[in-house]
Amino acid sequence: MRLDIEGLIVHFPYEYIYPEQYSYMVELKRAIDAKGHCLLEMPSGTGKTVSLLALIVAYMRQYPSELCKLVYCSRTVPEIEKVLEELRRLLQYYEEQFKEKIPITGVVLSSRKNLCIHKDVRQEKDGKIVDGRCHNLTASHVRERHLTDDSVPVCTYFEDFEDYGNESYLEPGVYTLDDLKSYGAKKGWCPYFIARHAVSYANIVVYSYHYLLDPKIAEIVSKDIPKNSVVVFDEAHNIDNVCIDSMSVKITKRIIERASANLLDLAKTIRHMKEVGPRRLTEEYQRMVDGLRETQQARETDMVLANPVLPDQILQEAIPGNIRDAEHFVGFLRRFVEYLKIRLRVQFVVQESPAGFLKDIMQKVCIDRKPLRFAAERLASLLKTLEIADQTDFSALVVVSHLATLVSTYTKGFIIIVEPFEDKTPNIPNPILHFRCLDASIAVKPIFDRFQTVVITSGTLSPLDMYPKILDFQPKVMTSFSMTLARPCLLPMIVSKGNDQVAISSKFESREDQSVVRNYGQLLVEIVKIVPDGVVCFFTSYLYLESVVAAWYDQGIVTTLQRHKLLFIETQDPAETSLALLNYIKACERGRGAILLSVARGKVSEGVDFDHHLGRAVVMIGIPYVYTQSRILKARLEYLRDTFQIRENDFLTFDAMRHAAQCVGRAIRGKTDYGIMIFADKRFSSEDKRSKLPRWIQEYLTDNLVNLSTEESIQCAKRWLKQMAQPFTREDQLGISLLTLEQLQKEGVENIQQKARQKIK
Amino acid sequence: MTSSEDVLLQVSNVRYQKKTGTLYVMNERLAWMMDNRDTVSVSHRYADIKLQKISPEGKSKIQLQVVLHDSAASTFQFTNVGGQAEQIRERDSVKDLLMQLLPKFKRKVNKELEEKNKLLTDNPTLLQLYKDLVISKVITSEEFWAQHAPKYVKENVGNKQPIGVSGAFLADIKPQTDGCNGLKYKLTSDIIESIFKTYPAVRRKHMEYVPHKMSESEFWTKFFQSHYFHRDRIHSGNKDIFTECAKIDDQDMDKEIDSGIKDPLVDINSFGDTTFSEGFGVGSDTSANSHTGNIVHQNMIKRFNQHSFMVLKACQHSITENGTAENGQKDAHTSSTVAKDDGDDEDVTVIKKRRIQEKLTYDDLESSSSNVAACLNLSRVDRYLHGPITDTNSSTDVPAEKVSSSVMRELIRLMESPLGSSHRNPAALITPALAINAVGELSPGGSLMKGFQHEASASMTPADIETDLKTLYLSVCELLRHFWACFPPTTPQLEEKATTMHETLHRFHAAKLKPFEDRVIRECSPLSHNITSHLNQLLNSAYRKFAIWQQRKMQHFR
Repeated sequence: MRLDIEGLIVHFPYEYIYPEQYSYMVELKRAIDAKGHCLLEMPSGTGKTVSLLALIVAYMRQYPSELCKLVYCSRTVPEIEKVLEELRRLLQYYEEQFKEKIPITGVVLSSRKNLCIHKDVRQEKDGKIVDGRCHNLTASHVRERHLTDDSVPVCTYFEDFEDYGNESYLEPGVYTLDDLKSYGAKKGWCPYFIARHAVSYANIVVYSYHYLLDPKIAEIVSKDIPKNSVVVFDEAHNIDNVCIDSMSVKITKRIIERASANLLDLAKTIRHMKEVGPRRLTEEYQRMVDGLRETQQARETDMVLANPVLPDQILQEAIPGNIRDAEHFVGFLRRFVEYLKIRLRVQFVVQESPAGFLKDIMQKVCIDRKPLRFAAERLASLLKTLEIADQTDFSALVVVSHLATLVSTYTKGFIIIVEPFEDKTPNIPNPILHFRCLDASIAVKPIFDRFQTVVITSGTLSPLDMYPKILDFQPKVMTSFSMTLARPCLLPMIVSKGNDQVAISSKFESREDQSVVRNYGQLLVEIVKIVPDGVVCFFTSYLYLESVVAAWYDQGIVTTLQRHKLLFIETQDPAETSLALLNYIKACERGRGAILLSVARGKVSEGVDFDHHLGRAVVMIGIPYVYTQSRILKARLEYLRDTFQIRENDFLTFDAMRHAAQCVGRAIRGKTDYGIMIFADKRFSSEDKRSKLPRWIQEYLTDNLVNLSTEESIQCAKRWLKQMAQPFTREDQLGISLLTLEQLQKEGVENIQQKARQKIK
Repeated sequence: MTSSEDVLLQVSNVRYQKKTGTLYVMNERLAWMMDNRDTVSVSHRYADIKLQKISPEGKSKIQLQVVLHDSAASTFQFTNVGGQAEQIRERDSVKDLLMQLLPKFKRKVNKELEEKNKLLTDNPTLLQLYKDLVISKVITSEEFWAQHAPKYVKENVGNKQPIGVSGAFLADIKPQTDGCNGLKYKLTSDIIESIFKTYPAVRRKHMEYVPHKMSESEFWTKFFQSHYFHRDRIHSGNKDIFTECAKIDDQDMDKEIDSGIKDPLVDINSFGDTTFSEGFGVGSDTSANSHTGNIVHQNMIKRFNQHSFMVLKACQHSITENGTAENGQKDAHTSSTVAKDDGDDEDVTVIKKRRIQEKLTYDDLESSSSNVAACLNLSRVDRYLHGPITDTNSSTDVPAEKVSSSVMRELIRLMESPLGSSHRNPAALITPALAINAVGELSPGGSLMKGFQHEASASMTPADIETDLKTLYLSVCELLRHFWACFPPTTPQLEEKATTMHETLHRFHAAKLKPFEDRVIRECSPLSHNITSHLNQLLNSAYRKFAIWQQRKMQHFR
């Protein structure tokens, strides 16, 4: 279908279009035109990705000077692969239309674990080990040594890539992980480095958040991306957590021990090198004196983790004198590690700001702030000089050096908390030093500054006004789209009481109450009786899940559930959970029906879709509040209140509701799909919770559905299921939730916008 | 008393439908007469009685029920004033007597006959065949059942669905108190079968222990005492024979986990794309997490999962087993390979791609014209194009075929490629001239239409004749199938069968086909022989074959 979106011709690879897709493209185009950032919420399963790609590809073709690159960030590997397949379909459509290949290259970048084709290395399951072994084969000094000594193994794929592949470019087209691997295998080149190389020239790059948000990796991978690019963060409802994650460090006793061991190793290696040939060390020293950060262009392979500090903070000064010498630096680090050791030897919880920490360290071990800032950089240089390829052994020391650099660079927005033991087990000493970022905007700020358009989009971003606050940016466009439906294909309900009129809630006072637990069980039993195929049920935490299941076993509820459906439960072991999921799908597909008990905020709630028969009903048991007693959370809440004027409760509710919405949103993937969404907690009925749900759910959560007992909800569901079971044809949808080109032109832009949008003032 | 039968037993104070009367157990029947009447109001011949039932012990009412073959039932309540013990004694005496009498009268229903009857009613085609062949005495009944029916019988057996395993079968075994503070578990053969199906380890144990080391009941007692059954107990190192079973189950599960998850969309481990070492980020590392929570609960959850896996697997087994039985070796082999999806890298990527594309399709956005074209798979294309042509004609057909061979080739090529592809590149279609040529050849009178009957005959045939014709075809084909199956007759048995089949064909010809032809001529003369010509052709070719074979045999002898 050929669309005209405010003067831009967009080729849309389908015969029909949803009204919200059209409006989405209009809004997106406006944001790109204005060279501003935007925040777009569109219901899951309404073809967000394809609209996004269609518009941006069209834009790139028409105004190549305005917009030259799309960087698409998504959260999980399957999501990334889905984006690439969508892109492939779009480009195929283009080809059919124009009868020629269009010069657009789309490429994925993933970790070595997913891309390696070396016959030994790829057998490894653990990503860290793959990285380490790869470094062992590809580091520049290893390759130098290989030139003189054939017995030093190198990776032939990488060698060939260096010799021939470095200059060549991928043919236009779409390259998924498998495509890259088969291309690499055909050419004999390393797929990982093909992809790394391609990031600089490909028109569309798809990778995970970390490659852009985490300064440690972004500096290596995404340095060369030009300003006039569009950056898309898909599934961005958790973007603040990723930002915080990328800037935080945690020091445990184990790390300290291993760091000490690392230091001993380092000292030994330095001594050895001094005896054998001090040339390298003097050369390095000279470099430090010259104050050149990195005179030599670092080989791509040599960089394992870059400086954890953001690019605009990069220090241009010379490295201070007291850590220029290798041995001095090792001594310096030893002092720092000893200091951390002392800090971990506490009996009570300590909480302090980075400034306090710096002052303390000055007093106790006389370490100045300035050299600390260079610790990460200096260590990286030293490891290189010492020709240590596999830096996984030194990871503990690297962590410590990053802590040093971070703590001395940022004084605001961070906190240090030392906990001598875990709250649940006060008798087992397990000291942890948390260096925690409190401000998500720190990591994301350079992205907003650097690129002309950043698109933040997801199925669940409500309430929209929260994100500009916590990420500290000014969006040009901020819109939430509703879902136009020809039939009410989602049935959200709030169940607030059991059949015995006892209020059900997961709040702390009543969560262990037997009658509440039983009522939850009864609700589930009734649901399982009437809902066909798959039912998914989310709990607020693993602990709660475990205790409830145990209680249900005693009450005989588990047996009743098993009588109707096969029971699968998410566990803390991801492999076991994957197996359970696989079997859950199998059971649904056999028509046997199954029920999955899962956990909000768990891996399942974040990455697995339960479309169509896999999830005909989702039950959210309780409100998935984050564990509120944690000191880190408290510190963050305080910071948010002081800096961004966000009330604690507002943030907590926002956080809980976005996770609840994520969970229930898993069931609907498209307009032909249908599913029941049950929010089983009395507290959901209150206005401040309800209003934080995404528009498209809220719209169908009418007042008669917000305070139901178990039985009432079952009645509603029964009626609704009968209605949904009727055949549903395209004709039913046409004109309402599905448009042809003619209808689109006739309706006029304004009308459609009206239909699909609620502008938030 | 209406008959001269002997009364074997007479019990008074028996209530039937709330009226008191006397029950008579007689030679050939069970009768009941209301008090103060002289006509028997209930009278069941023993032959009509299917079975008798008595009220369970401990019930206040002492009753006896007889169920008839037509599933009607009469209930008699014993209300002897002498109290319950007396009532029971009376009831039991009636019961015992009936127990002796009933088997004598049990109609010896021929089970086989019943089955055959059922088979015939279930399969209308078979019934038709039976009517045509057996009732018209073309073949004998025995022959029919031996030769023509087995196909249906087998089909019936094969179609039987194996019974699945209920997810809650273990829970359905409800313990009952046995009166003195003990527990009684009721096990039916179904439940045992379910347990064995779901827990193969238990089956192995059972085979190992019963009856060499312990009795059946001991085994199950142990089972119910084990942690294996009670999922909320942790298995400690006690000497439980089922400890090993649990271990085997765990190993099976680990093996399955190790073998990897083929579906990339559910493999949670591979979701993340970061490889940071410990210490970076805020994520709590798994090692710290594992010791939180209640181990008993975690163990129980694991068992629940395991149970569901095994129930599912049990069903899977039965499906594949069923497949083997039904489709024979070859089919089962292919189906199992499909289901297994081999561990090759190649395969994994294909599956992955398919799964992802599945997830991306928006059915409602797609244009509707993309209809799924079924692929026409012909083993012999020429047959399809010619239609039934008799041997005699084939020699004359050869030149015609030559003439239009270019058209044929083109057509064949098109047939072999799926229809969808021809949609896409119209350039690959045949030229108009060729097409017109082909249409001409395929019209009545064209070279490719020889041997076809005229359309007109179909519209002129009355409905009843048509159905008769159908049944005739059915019977003929069945007989011919058997006839042709005898060739080449390599064994004496086959030779013999060929001869009998030949005779049967002749009989059929005389008994069925001839009368039908006569009727056709009588009722709708215009059709005359036209309508049966093909049938005759079929039969004639069979006769010819037989004649040739006989001739050869004679020559051989000479």
